[in-house]
Amino acid sequence: MTPSIASPARRTHRTRATAALGGLLTLALTLSACGGDTKENADAAPGDTSSVDTLKLANAVAVDTLDPIQASANESIWLDQNIYARLVQTDPTGTKIVPDLADKWEISEDQLTYTFHLRPGVKFADGTPVTAQDAKWSIERARSGEDSAWGFLITPVTDITATDDQTLTIKLERPHAPLLADLAMYAYAVLPQKAVEADKDFFSKTPYGAGPFKVTSLSPQSNLVLTRNDNYWGPKPKIKTVEVSIVTDDNTRLLQLQGGQVDVIENPAGNVLKQIEANPKLRVDLFDSTRVDFVSLPLKTKPLDNLKVRQAIKAALDLGRMNTLAYQGNAKVATTFFPYQMLFWDESAPEPKQDLAKAKQLLAEAGYPDGFTIPLIAVSADAAGQAQAVVIKDDLAKIGITVDIQSFELSTAYDKQRPGTNGMGMRYWTNDIIDPDEVATFGADGDGGAHAFNSYWKDESVTALVNQARSETDTTKRAEMYAQIQAAIADQAPFIPLAYAPFRYASGTWVKGFKVSPLGNYNDSLLTLTVEEH
Amino acid sequence: MGSSVNLRWSRVANLVPVLFGITLVSFLLLRLVPGDPAQQILGNRYTPEAAAGIRRSLGLDQPLLQQYWLFIKGAMTGSFGESYQYHRPVGELLLDRTGASLMLVGLTAIFCAALSIPLGIWAAVRRGGLVDQATRVLFTLGFALPAFLVGIVLILVFGLKLGWAPIGGYGNGVLSHVGHLVLPALTLAIPFSTVLVRSLRSSTITVLEADFVTVARLKGIPESRILVRHVLRNAIGPVAVVFGINLAFLVGGTVVVENVFSIPGLGSLLVGAVSTRDYPVVQAVALVLAVFVVLVNLLTDVVHGLLDPRLSVGVQR
Repeated sequence: MTPSIASPARRTHRTRATAALGGLLTLALTLSACGGDTKENADAAPGDTSSVDTLKLANAVAVDTLDPIQASANESIWLDQNIYARLVQTDPTGTKIVPDLADKWEISEDQLTYTFHLRPGVKFADGTPVTAQDAKWSIERARSGEDSAWGFLITPVTDITATDDQTLTIKLERPHAPLLADLAMYAYAVLPQKAVEADKDFFSKTPYGAGPFKVTSLSPQSNLVLTRNDNYWGPKPKIKTVEVSIVTDDNTRLLQLQGGQVDVIENPAGNVLKQIEANPKLRVDLFDSTRVDFVSLPLKTKPLDNLKVRQAIKAALDLGRMNTLAYQGNAKVATTFFPYQMLFWDESAPEPKQDLAKAKQLLAEAGYPDGFTIPLIAVSADAAGQAQAVVIKDDLAKIGITVDIQSFELSTAYDKQRPGTNGMGMRYWTNDIIDPDEVATFGADGDGGAHAFNSYWKDESVTALVNQARSETDTTKRAEMYAQIQAAIADQAPFIPLAYAPFRYASGTWVKGFKVSPLGNYNDSLLTLTVEEH
Repeated sequence: MGSSVNLRWSRVANLVPVLFGITLVSFLLLRLVPGDPAQQILGNRYTPEAAAGIRRSLGLDQPLLQQYWLFIKGAMTGSFGESYQYHRPVGELLLDRTGASLMLVGLTAIFCAALSIPLGIWAAVRRGGLVDQATRVLFTLGFALPAFLVGIVLILVFGLKLGWAPIGGYGNGVLSHVGHLVLPALTLAIPFSTVLVRSLRSSTITVLEADFVTVARLKGIPESRILVRHVLRNAIGPVAVVFGINLAFLVGGTVVVENVFSIPGLGSLLVGAVSTRDYPVVQAVALVLAVFVVLVNLLTDVVHGLLDPRLSVGVQR
């Protein structure tokens, strides 16, 4: 899930004007919020059958491609999960690996050989059997295909062999703890080799795999129709069709939901959530995500190379207030740079508290008792990021640091942030796999190409820990290592995690059981979800 | 007679440097602004190595001149390369999207004519009357309001409250397309008609005061016939020119309106492509839109010439 392309623009914030309106309004809002909870609890469970057999979903971002190794828009990736099955998959909580096409697998004593056994009789949507050869070809394609963006995840893999139609063996040069999580990722979906090879336009016509749905109509930018795959090995979805439309305008999307033209919309603007909740027929759905917002303090910008300056900045921030302003309190204050809905997130990490006295003292010790002036690069269309930037400016002013917020369109902002010499920067991360290896590598490995989220911070011992943790298959030891890595970043502050922001959806109360996993997927919920007449 | 034809051909020949300029601008514009396609493709997975690999595979590591040459060469043969974002040939994307935009522009033109011709003439004939004043106020208001606001208000009223029109989208099948395009076309036609009504009003007033109209009246030709056969025909020429010139703005307007109404046209394709730095798509769409505008301008001149033969030659026949 490429976060930068995702949809920061949609994460608009709610102004705090309402907060000042006093008791009565607050009470009214609280009541409406309670109303929301009641709606959620009473109505969310799916029915036994779906009286309407179509779910209409309005996404904010166009489907870029349905080729899983090339997809970079989150919206495409979330659809991929419904179309293509993988060897293994993540469970709805996003923290466990469970069987998909392979119903069992063995890992050798030395952790270097994985043997997967395909479910007997499992078929693609066109009725042809899924073979180990299909799996081999698909994984090879994702690993070393010219167009694949995801080969880097499984570099330790040395050999993939289809021993027979049902058995696939993967050999590694060194133990690689995230392997199952990597294979559960959309890019490693098992595709029908013959069909894909036979048609170079396979993915732009009506692609299919062995997932619960198949594409029956595709005009990528406006409309996508998924139809239930009756050859799916698992539970049959209760709905027959999913119609996905692309509605980029926030207002139009909401109006379509209000008019009942669609059933579920992605990313309702943050400032209309209360309005949606106030409508008895609609519901706001907030789901835990793996998104971590952070501000980078690149060491290439003076005086951010000074540890005490970075620590002073961290001590000066009031993350609770930031959450209220940027997310109407709907996010969670970040405690570590790991997403909190993920394996090995350190739940014992303390919540950062604002301490202005300490911040001032650190700044004085660093040799800047009177503060300094520094730019902060923000993304103009990212309303939540803009609000966070304003809070940072306000908080840092209290310790004498003058922040110059410079807003740019997304692509330009990231260009400016990359060299690390242009001051602080508003950024965020989301996970592609449930394993922490990816975020640890990008955020804490100073030798890696990402330069610790472009902060250019480097610590040999932490880099070594990142590499060890990747090869460590003992869960307890691995958790220990990741706790150390999280603590090191918290102490060294090359960047400061700010918030764990939720995924936002809105839906009609006639939709029962729409849910999104922390990785953003809704394929599990589409299996059971029902739609009522409305 | 020959000189008239020659002049038209020379106008066509003039298009060559214009088109060349357009390709240059559409090629350079995005490359001159900051932002890196590799960043867009990689997102948080950005590493210098991965980005270099992507730039290499996209041909972005080659000298600008070389890239430009490839673009021109491709454009000549109708091949615009492959979209970075959609991983499909740009030509296919354009084909998918052109229909919706053309239909939108066409419907808008029809609405414009239907609105501005009667209103413009009426306003001219009853100068200072109710219609004259009302069109002045209402259309100026329509002109001042941004399209995204007008669009949303129209959706709110006619889509959500009254349920007469769909709330955005494009539908399936030609009839359904037209139904979906009524509100967006109206959104575009309202500000556009402002210009046309005012211009038609003033040209009609001029013509109404011409001697031949007085002569026609003296001959006892009915007023309605004078208006349609004599006045409108002479008054519409300048309006056609205004229409042609403003068509560029109309095309610009579709970009906004297509997004508000989620219509899969060239405009919404362009917006997405700019923000994702999808160079081949931006280049191609910009080129297509520019060529469209240039051709319409040419057509305007030709039509204007047909309506008023004196203008088409510039030399005595």
